[in-house]
Order: sequence, then structure tokens, then C-alpha cells
Amino acid sequence: MLVHLFKLIWNKKRQNFLLMLEMFVSFIVLFVVFTLSVFYYNNYRKQQGFEYEDVWAVNYGLPPGITSKDSINMLVESLRNMISSMPQVEQLSFTGNNIPYSANIFNTSIDYKGKGVISDIYTADTRYAEVLNLTMLSGNWGFKKGERKQRSAVVVNTTLKEVLFGQEEAIGKRVKVDNEELEVTGVVNDFKSKGDYQEPGNGLFRIPDSIDHQAQSMILLKISPDADAAFEAKLYKAVSNFSKNTSVEIEHLSKKREAKNRLTLIPMLILFTVASFLIINVALGLFGVLWYTINRRKPEIGLRRAVGASGTDISGQISGEALVLTTISVLAGCFFAVQFPLLNVFDLPSNVYFAAILLSVTFIYLLVIICSVYPARQAASIYPALALHEE
Amino acid sequence: MLKNYLKIAFAVLRRRKFFTFISLFGISITLTILIVLAAFLDKLTSPGYPDMKRDRSLYINTIVQENPKASGMMRGPLSLYFFQHYAGVMKTPENIAVSSIFTATNTYVNNKKLVINVKYTNGAWWDVLEYDFVEGKPYSLQDIKNAERVAVISEDVKKQYFGDAGKVTGKYIETDNVQYRVIGVVKSVPITSPFIYADLYLPYTLSKSDYRDRSISGAYTGIVLARDKSDLARIKEEYKQIVAKVPPQNKDYTILYSHADTYVESFTRMFSRDQNSSGLGILLAVVAITVFLLMLLPTINLVNINVSRIMERSSEIGVRKAFGASSGTLAMQFIVENIILTLLGGVIGIIFSYIILSTINHSSLIPNFTLSINFTVLSYGILACLLFGLLSGVYPAWRMSRMEVVNALKAS
Repeated sequence: MLVHLFKLIWNKKRQNFLLMLEMFVSFIVLFVVFTLSVFYYNNYRKQQGFEYEDVWAVNYGLPPGITSKDSINMLVESLRNMISSMPQVEQLSFTGNNIPYSANIFNTSIDYKGKGVISDIYTADTRYAEVLNLTMLSGNWGFKKGERKQRSAVVVNTTLKEVLFGQEEAIGKRVKVDNEELEVTGVVNDFKSKGDYQEPGNGLFRIPDSIDHQAQSMILLKISPDADAAFEAKLYKAVSNFSKNTSVEIEHLSKKREAKNRLTLIPMLILFTVASFLIINVALGLFGVLWYTINRRKPEIGLRRAVGASGTDISGQISGEALVLTTISVLAGCFFAVQFPLLNVFDLPSNVYFAAILLSVTFIYLLVIICSVYPARQAASIYPALALHEE
Repeated sequence: MLKNYLKIAFAVLRRRKFFTFISLFGISITLTILIVLAAFLDKLTSPGYPDMKRDRSLYINTIVQENPKASGMMRGPLSLYFFQHYAGVMKTPENIAVSSIFTATNTYVNNKKLVINVKYTNGAWWDVLEYDFVEGKPYSLQDIKNAERVAVISEDVKKQYFGDAGKVTGKYIETDNVQYRVIGVVKSVPITSPFIYADLYLPYTLSKSDYRDRSISGAYTGIVLARDKSDLARIKEEYKQIVAKVPPQNKDYTILYSHADTYVESFTRMFSRDQNSSGLGILLAVVAITVFLLMLLPTINLVNINVSRIMERSSEIGVRKAFGASSGTLAMQFIVENIILTLLGGVIGIIFSYIILSTINHSSLIPNFTLSINFTVLSYGILACLLFGLLSGVYPAWRMSRMEVVNALKAS
């Protein structure tokens, strides 16, 4: 039966070529759309890993003209005391300007035993985990009191830990960052700091041992839920009095999150709209062409009915032909799609590609089945006498 | 003759309504997508308020200091010092407008937070760019020299800060804990022109960071205005000569790049890996490939349907051939019919895109950003339409013209 269907299609390869080309291109379009959707959906399902509600970010600057490390240190400590004395402030942390949901990214190569990996680098003091409510999996955020402090401490996230050390214990290991040896003191869970649809990726947190405030320009604040705009104005006044000659800005992480997510969602929405239009277009065309072909093959179908083929046989043949055509196009499409995970294009995990291929294949078969049901049923209802009479 | 073709075309369109619907659907939606895309690109690249002299302007937005050996690189906007001491000595240009990248500041009015984006500019800014002053006037060179605390604000900020107050010139606006006297209100600029957009414009002498700082990189970008379009190449060359003489600032870096680019180039250069190429070619290629892929599926679909349709008309073709019509005439007739069909789809597509664009404009997705179908966009649309009609008509016409008379008549 199958061989017979192939033969039928082979005999009409010219007429069928366009249909196959159309399905092939649709497959590629579907593959692209599904790859992105699967990738984003996988990331969306991952845990947020931190709390962004009631966290504010204050962009401040040091007053100009002060260069001595000690005086900067004193100034920043006084700023910390001033802000933490406000009743609405629950916790605060000084950090670099690549805070969660910001557009800033710092990354560099982290070396461990000759192996180099690119990782995001955050400068964050010891209260960072508390402000964002991160889960420490092991170790501490920085050295404990009384420990030796010749080396600077770093905390790694789970992804980076697995990349660098695998199953080994991470605490106490020394990694090289920009030719500087740093000791890992803790492992923290991954958190999606670049938006709900992005991968957490490798992350390394440098805890400044002697306070190096040049590298910091942000304060993250955990505030109580009852804080209002009046409090924000008060906080703003206080920080700008401190910073005097530089601009100050207060942002809410929950708002930054929305803006960041929109950067992913809007292009995806456009892609979905365009792709679904293309698919509807193809489905209509497929339907039309199949329907038309059946009308043209009435005599042939009539003859088959006359020699004893049942209605089910006929509709089976029509759907079967369409499915064989689809299979040929899908196989060609898969050949190209499989190259992505094999050649590791775009650095996406290969299971994303395979899931996308599976989804595209299912989708295209469903589409063809739906489009061929009505024409096939129509063909089945052809009366042999009538069809042969027309002839 | 053409009238006859038209009559036949409409008769055919009416006969198989389902096929006609599929064809029109495909054509009109494809065109809608292309027109909306073109409207966006057109809005982003062609001169718009207040940057009306884009065709004789060059943009200096970044300076790159690099050490190829140690693969270290520093990239960013330039300093005011650079513009005053290096770019400022160029002889060919008419004027150079310099402004800082906008920075967000907060202000609190009536228990509400406002985010005000501040930009520091020089005096030439107001000559090079043609702002519409709703009231008041720009600050003068004297104001800049005296570091007067004066500001030009946008209409949006006026509305948010002062509410429905009538004239606001002479009133004071406070942001970042500093009070400025408003001396002018200009029509707002959309944020899609990032080097021009701001809510509050201030003289650069008020800048909080020290504007006398002598480093090369900083927070400023410039617009170089040529006297005439033909001077652009010479200005580019002159700027290149000047940049070549600037020593890198830090001994870690050995090479220094900065370019005076046309508007589109200044954006494509951000994505270009090669410092000496503006990346414009890559952008054009990407746009072309996208448009091609977008049109590919509907075209194949249309070809498919057209082929089916022709087979249906084989008796008509057979008769006409038998009476001596040449293959060329028949093919021509079919292509004309198809172009009529696509033009019909085109009209529907233009109506659709008009509806979509006005929805986008009314939704204020991007404030002050209005898209429109202008002559350029429309002509691209019609061009795409004709191309579409030709592409999808040629192959079926060729198939038809090769049909044997006997077969054609027999099939009926």
C-alpha cells in the first residue's frame, strides 16, 4: 500500500513538488518558532530564585574630589547608617550597577585548573543575599568572623559551580579572575536576574574585602511594604544630599522586571503573529489544492469505487497521499534542523532543538490531517455511477 | 484588449470564491506586514522632528580605544573636552551640536514620582536641530557662559509637572534637588531617537560631572552639520585625520577609533565587528533576507493555487489555442489577470495596514512616535505587490502556455 502511494506521488512529482516545497518551508518556519518558544518556556519554568517585590535600587555617586580610600570608606559607612536607620528600610546592600533586570552586563573569564569559562561578575557586599532573599546552598556570603582574610572571597551560583567543579565540593577552592586568586566561600542558588525568559547563566559574586567603593554605584534596598512615595521622596533627598554633584535615581525592581520581560515578549508576539499568518495561509492553500485535486480525479475515484473500493479506502488513499507528501518534506526539513544541535549553532542546549523538531513534526502532521479530512470525506462520498456517467 | 482581460479576470475571480479568498488573504496580509515593517524602518531612518537636516548631518557617537594584543577594549561616548579640542577644530562643517547622553533623574510632585531625563547641550544644539518652541526660547551662549540655571523642557514634562497651567516660562522646575528656571517648552521627541531625546535640556556648564575633565571618553555625542550635502565625504576624511592624531589616553590602549557616520551608519556600526566597516551592508542583507523569507511562503502558496486554477480552465485555453492564440498571448493574459488579483489584494492590504498603524499610534506604545504611510512606504508596497504578482504568475503561465491543445480539449 505504502509503496503504491509513493509510486503515485513519484509519477506526479512535478505537480507535487510545489506542495512539498511549501510544506518544507512551513516546517522550517515552525522549527524556528518552536525552538524559541521551547527555550523561553524552559527558562520561564525555572525558579525565579529571588524576591524582587519591595526591592528598590538607588543609583548614587560619591561626592567628587575625594580620593583617599579611608575617607570614602567613612562616607559610605555613614550613608549606610543613615539609610538603615530609616524605619521602612529592612536591609540594604551596596553593589555594582549590573543589578537584576538592568541592561548592564559585566562578564569575564574565570579560570580554574587551566579551564576558562565566561561568567557574569557581580560586586556585592555581604547583605546581598538577604536583600534579594537568595538561598545559600552551602558556605557563607564572604568569610566568617575570625577567618583569615588575605584573599578576597567569592560566591558562585549553582550553574557556575557545576561547570567549574562538577560534583566536587566548591568551598575552599581557588579560582582566578583577571589574574587575581579568589577563594570560593559559598554556593548560592541560581536566580533569573535578566528577566523571566532568560537563562540564569554562570554567575560569580565578588565580595569586596577592603571596601572598594569605586566599583559600586548601586544600593539595593529591601523596604517594608507600607513604604510610599513620601518615603521615597525622603530617601531621594537624603541620598542626593550625600551625592551632591552626581545624579541620583531610584527604581523599583518590580517595574524593571516588567520592562525587561517586555523586551522578550514583544518580539515573540510579533514572531507568533507573523508565523501564525503564514501557517493559516499554508493551511488554506493546502485545503484548497487538495479539494481541487479531488474534483479533478472524480473519474479515477469513480472507477475505483465501481470495482469495489469502499468509501474508507478512498478517503484513506487521499489522506495517505497527503501524508506521504508531508513525510518527504518533513524528512528534508529534519535533515536541516538536525544540523543545529549537531554543529552547536547559537549555543542553545540540544534538547531544545530536539523538542522543537518533535513539536514541528507533530504540528505539521496535524495540520495536514485536518486539511485533508474534508476533501477525503468528499471523495469518499462520490457515487461511482455519477462519476462514471460524467466521464 | 486590456478591458477584455479585466472582464475575464473578474469573471474568474467570482467563479471560485474560495480560491479567490485564499489568494486575496495571502496577498493582503503579506503586504500589510511588509508595509508596517517599512513604515517602522522609514520612521527610524528618514529625517524627522527635530532632526530635519539628517541628509547633511554626520553623527559622532562612540570612541573605541583598543589594544589588539591584550584584547582589551573600551568603548563609549566621547567627552566634551574631545569635542572642544579635537572635533571642534574641523574647518569644513557649518556647526557641531554636542549633547550628553540623557540621564534619568527623579523628582517628586504631589506625592507622585516623575522620571525626568536630562541632557546637557551646547549652544549650537538649538541651531542644528529644529525644535518647535511651543513657548519661550532656547538658552543663549551668554546663559551657557554664565552657567545660568535655565532649562528648556518638553511638552510632556510640562504636562506632568505643571499640570494644565497655561504659560510656564519663568516658573521653576526642580529635579535632582536643583531648581531651574524654565525658559522654553519644546514639542516632545520620541525615545526612538536616543541621541536627541530628553525631557529637560540644560546648558552643559551646569553638568554635575566636571565638564573640564580632560579625558577622551565621557558622556557626550555630537552632530556635525555640513554646509552642503557634498561636503559630507570631506568632513568624514577631515575627522579621520584628526582622530588619527589623538593619542590613546591610557597606556594600555594602542589604537583609537571614532567615526563621523550618517544617521543609519551610526546605528549599524554598533553591530559591526570590524572597526573600519559601518555594517550598513549587513543590515541591508538582513532586511532583504527577512523580506524574502516572509514573501516566500505566500508566493509558493499562490503559485500552487494558480496552477490548480489553470488546470480548471484548460478547456478555455484549448479552445483559444485551437483558434490560433499564441502561447505568449495566453501567458500574458494570465500574468495580467494575476497582477490584477494582487493589486486588489494590495488595496485591501493598504487598508489593513492603515488600520494597524493608527491602532499603534493611538495605543501610544512609544510616546510621541507616530507612524504613517507616506509616499515612500506606499511605493515600496506597490512595488512588492507587482513583484508578488509577477513571481506567482510567471510559473503557472509558463505551465499553461505549454499545454497541448489536444490534451487541453480532452481534459474537459
